[in-house]
Amino acid sequence: MEEEASGKQKEFESEALVHLDTLYNVALRLTGNASDAEDLVQDTVTKAYRAWDKYEPGTNCRAWLVTIMRNTFINQFRRRSKQPSPVQFDAVEDTSVFEQVQDRDPEGSFYRFIVDDEVKQAIQELPEEFRIPVVLSDVEGLSYAEIAEILDLPVGTVKSRLFRGRRRLQQRLYEYAMEMGYIR
Amino acid sequence: MTGFIRDLMEKMMPQPGGIDCGGVMAQLYEYLDGELDDPATMEKIRVHLEKCRRCYPRYNFEKAFLRFVSDQGHTSAPPELRRKIFQTLLEEEDSH
Repeated sequence: MEEEASGKQKEFESEALVHLDTLYNVALRLTGNASDAEDLVQDTVTKAYRAWDKYEPGTNCRAWLVTIMRNTFINQFRRRSKQPSPVQFDAVEDTSVFEQVQDRDPEGSFYRFIVDDEVKQAIQELPEEFRIPVVLSDVEGLSYAEIAEILDLPVGTVKSRLFRGRRRLQQRLYEYAMEMGYIR
Repeated sequence: MTGFIRDLMEKMMPQPGGIDCGGVMAQLYEYLDGELDDPATMEKIRVHLEKCRRCYPRYNFEKAFLRFVSDQGHTSAPPELRRKIFQTLLEEEDSH
């Protein structure tokens, strides 16, 4: 019996725990702080471990784990904070930053001066419905189909949220670069 | 007015890759994200971007942005959390 358990643990380590960084990243962007993020990762991993026999080996373990995390977040953590309100279309999404910088910095060199904390802050300030697709796609490299599955949304909605989220993020980083004088 | 002239010129110019600028821009993120299923469309966009002086800089800018977010947006799990998780798993095993 003990051997079986140890086999399960080894399997879990090699298949699931390799995605710990992804889980932490997503948790951080969902909760907005390190302490809640750690709790969310712990709860997610514990649930996943208990449900490990329901996981089909060879299928997408990372998407399975992030789905458990999302559901855990909705059930436990969201209760503590306000429900996000639906996001209205913002005029910011109408124009791309490229239009604004094409004469001064068409290659987007100003990005190089922006430090990672500022980027993470800018991602955090995105409304949740854009923030999570952006993190899953642009930071974690998940496909549209994987994100659609995790967030239980049609692929078309994922695409449009990514588009809008990226536009807002670009605009925020551009404004920051302007404030800091990285771009004139 | 500039926009009008640009549009007019675009209509008069040959379309590199057999796809117009609007078509390329509409699918730019999907192209960059490797999400286009049709190899023929991917090739059209690739050829277009190679030859179009208007679209290439936009493509290049978006590519720089995505690379930047991917490089800078990541945070690694703290070692202490990793340790706690291994501890939790051991406790889970003991309780069964």
